[in-house]
Amino acid sequence: MLDGFEILTTSGIVLWRRHYTPISSNLIDSLVRDVFIEEKQKPGGGENGAPSYKKDRYTLRWTSAKDVGLVFVAVYQSLLHLSWIESLLTAVKGLFTKAYGQELKTPHTLKVNTAQWDPTFDALVNRLDTGSTRRQSDTIDSEGPTELTPPSSSAGDDADEPPPVPAPLFRKPAIPTKRDDVVGDSTSTDATPIPTPDTSRPATPGHAASHLLTAKGGPGKASRRSRKAQTFNASAPVSSGDESSAGRNLKGGAKTAAKGKRRWDVDGMAIEGDDDGVLDYSASATPGPENAERELDVADVNTSQMGSRTGKGQFVLKDLDDEVDAILASSSKPQQQSNATDDSTGSGLLASASSRLTSLFRNVVGGKTLTKADLQLPLQQMQTHLLSKNVAPEAATRLCQAVETDLLDQKTANYTSIESTIRDSMTKALTRMLTPTSSLDLLREVTSVTSGQGALARPYVISIVGVNGVGKSTNLSKIAFFLLQNHFRVLVVAGDTFRSGAVEQLRVHVRNLSALSQREGVGKVELFEKGYGKDAATVARDAVAFATNKGTQAPGGSGQMLYDVVLIDTAGRRHNDSRLMSSLTKFGQLANPDKVFMVGEALVGTDSVAQARNFAKEFVDTKGKLRNNGVGMDGFIISKCDTVGDMVGTLVSMVHATGIPVVFLGVGQHYGDLRGLNVGWAVDKLMK
Amino acid sequence: MKKLEDWLTWALSPSISAILVTLIFSLTLPILIHTYLYKRAVAKELPTFLLLGPSGAGKTSLLTLLANGTPSPTHTSQAPQTAICQLPSTTRSSEDKYRSENDTSSRSQPSIQLLDTPGHGKLRHHAISSLTFPTALKGLLFVVDSAVLSSAAGLTETAEFLYDVLLLLQKRHTQGKTSKTPLAIPVLLVANKQDVFTSLPAGLVKSKLEEELGKVRQTRSKGLLDSGIGMDDDGEADEESSWLGEYGANGFKFAQMREHGVDLEVVGTSTSGEGEGEGEGRGHECWSWIGANV
Repeated sequence: MLDGFEILTTSGIVLWRRHYTPISSNLIDSLVRDVFIEEKQKPGGGENGAPSYKKDRYTLRWTSAKDVGLVFVAVYQSLLHLSWIESLLTAVKGLFTKAYGQELKTPHTLKVNTAQWDPTFDALVNRLDTGSTRRQSDTIDSEGPTELTPPSSSAGDDADEPPPVPAPLFRKPAIPTKRDDVVGDSTSTDATPIPTPDTSRPATPGHAASHLLTAKGGPGKASRRSRKAQTFNASAPVSSGDESSAGRNLKGGAKTAAKGKRRWDVDGMAIEGDDDGVLDYSASATPGPENAERELDVADVNTSQMGSRTGKGQFVLKDLDDEVDAILASSSKPQQQSNATDDSTGSGLLASASSRLTSLFRNVVGGKTLTKADLQLPLQQMQTHLLSKNVAPEAATRLCQAVETDLLDQKTANYTSIESTIRDSMTKALTRMLTPTSSLDLLREVTSVTSGQGALARPYVISIVGVNGVGKSTNLSKIAFFLLQNHFRVLVVAGDTFRSGAVEQLRVHVRNLSALSQREGVGKVELFEKGYGKDAATVARDAVAFATNKGTQAPGGSGQMLYDVVLIDTAGRRHNDSRLMSSLTKFGQLANPDKVFMVGEALVGTDSVAQARNFAKEFVDTKGKLRNNGVGMDGFIISKCDTVGDMVGTLVSMVHATGIPVVFLGVGQHYGDLRGLNVGWAVDKLMK
Repeated sequence: MKKLEDWLTWALSPSISAILVTLIFSLTLPILIHTYLYKRAVAKELPTFLLLGPSGAGKTSLLTLLANGTPSPTHTSQAPQTAICQLPSTTRSSEDKYRSENDTSSRSQPSIQLLDTPGHGKLRHHAISSLTFPTALKGLLFVVDSAVLSSAAGLTETAEFLYDVLLLLQKRHTQGKTSKTPLAIPVLLVANKQDVFTSLPAGLVKSKLEEELGKVRQTRSKGLLDSGIGMDDDGEADEESSWLGEYGANGFKFAQMREHGVDLEVVGTSTSGEGEGEGEGRGHECWSWIGANV
């Protein structure tokens, strides 16, 4: 059952909404944020072009109309599996764009009059809903018969006549007809005239048949259903994939069909014995021309009734049916692009030469509508350019894809060529990818954590991870230097207990830094080490406890925080070594750092993507959720940027792989060579 | 052929009629060209007001309120949106400042263009580029969520964005390339969501933000250098130029921005609460400020 449906513009205004149950607006906000803006979800995932997004036990499916700037979102519970949502989305997109597209294209429109849209939407839902989880506005208990209706256009019938009168009559044959199903028929189990294959039955009791015929109060209903059922007869039972329908015992019944059909009587007792008796109350016990005639008859009456009784609404529905069919058919057919004939319309040398000249002219002058063929070659060149800047092929492909979807069917501006348009669009895409959602201000965060009120004050814990030899210890000392200059007390923890000389290396760094800081009279720095061979996680935990110094040795005054910041170095490890990577998880849980930075060197090539991904997924907390809102780490430090010159594509690859922003750049081998990221500078270098 | 020759002879001869025709022609032709070009080129720029602020503050909601009179439900914006609206009849515009109350002659309220930008961190470039783009930007409405300011994270995010915006305005004012300073852009700080129970009143919003901005400018000045330093050849980054407000002052006050031409006012409003006051609709505080600055 659909919980809600909204139509909103890309600028955030809701043009129309329908909520069947209260939905918090937080859901769609997070959809927009996570998928459209931050692009945390890979696009194109999802069947038939209606990708899905899950949050909080809800699933959201959406589709967008780029030309008018609209997004259509359908919300339903994750437990359900509604297969008709894609067709609903496609149909709504087509119809809404047709109805209101012109109005929306004029600038400065903030709202449209959607009064006519409500009945159209209701009709659409009724038509496309496959029925098993359809909300019934009438009081028929849809437990038995109606549930297994095959996807039919019984919408019209439902809309005009909720028949309460036949309902009780329907109940009676419910149980016997269940046995029908057991015998081996597939989809429809209400009192429909399905000729069952093994009709070794006595004639149906006359009275039963007669009152059944009247019980089919919506006569058109049954007949249409029967016709549909006959067409579906050959197909597998109940392919609608609805998992939550209540009356599923029939499926179970069908399963036992092979074994030996169990039958149940009214009181719920199993009936042993012969499979005879009153089974088939359907009227097709006397099939024949008069039945068909009656069906036709009934159908005729029905349509005219539909037409006259409910007036305008139903007439819309009639047109709607054709339109919706057309939309659904066209969307499901594969797109055939006949762009091969575009350029070579004329035959011969002259025509092709003149067309080439005009396209060249248009290219220079601008105002050209971009097609896929136009964009292909320049995008190829752009991709090669990015690859030459050391961007991973995966990231380059994704960026070019984004540019292509952005520019397809747009017109170029005056006097701009296609190449410059693509450059502009690529610059925008790169800027968007590299800009963090919220910029990191390390000093503020440290101050706010260390100055928490009284008992809540604790040291700020930063840990550095990365593969072997990227510059973790060097960059850690640069960060320590930066913090010392700002008058913090820093504890450096030698968490690399594996590599020979790691602890000594850090000791040298700490000695230099303390000499520097003493000379200037700022800060205090110390080394915490436990030698070699110990478990890094326990070393880290002990270090944090030491820095926090909670009330252990306290001559006079409670345990004051000894250090403001704890910097934990870790051993370098290959990202494809699962044993070493799993020890990172334990490290993350024991040390519980405020920030986890991964160091990646600017020289690495396409390996950066795999590195970033593997490291990010190791940092889960005890509940199994990735820390930092599900991304894993808090930032990248890209080291050795001075050695690569212009080829800073590693920035892009790592951000593309994980969505984690780059926070620092290492631009040298001295203590002061640490910079923040300026997105404009990076994009300039990439596009040069 | 003969007629042409005759005509040319007449035209180049020093007869009175030829001189008169030439005179009239040469005087009216430029005027005609001028009127033709100016009629085509003149697209009267409406005064524009920019709406910006952190995500979730209520900018798009405020836009719909000001444009339509009632707010529509909204979600996070992905793209900027413009709307053209007219000052309501209850508001006086700056042109009518000295008009007497009893003056009953009809006056047409000026129409303005409102530009709403997305507040999400990745899409702030829309707001920043609209700030620096030299259109007829008459004022800035910085919308904040008064309820989220009581939490540290929300306060920090808001303060950082406001810092960036104010610094941009200050730099625009002090570092103009010509001696003529660009027109000052007044800023209205709209403390939105006053109907929420945990929201802070407008005065408290102002003081909290001032305090936080002081802290932000402290840490920004001490922070790491940007990787883009040395990229542009403006010389060394002057420390004074990136210090918001008064250089060397202890705390930050919005009044310090006045010397850089940034006039900041704070009002509290609520887009979804009931309209207060008789005869005044919702958002009247914004309208009165807009009217004063049009």
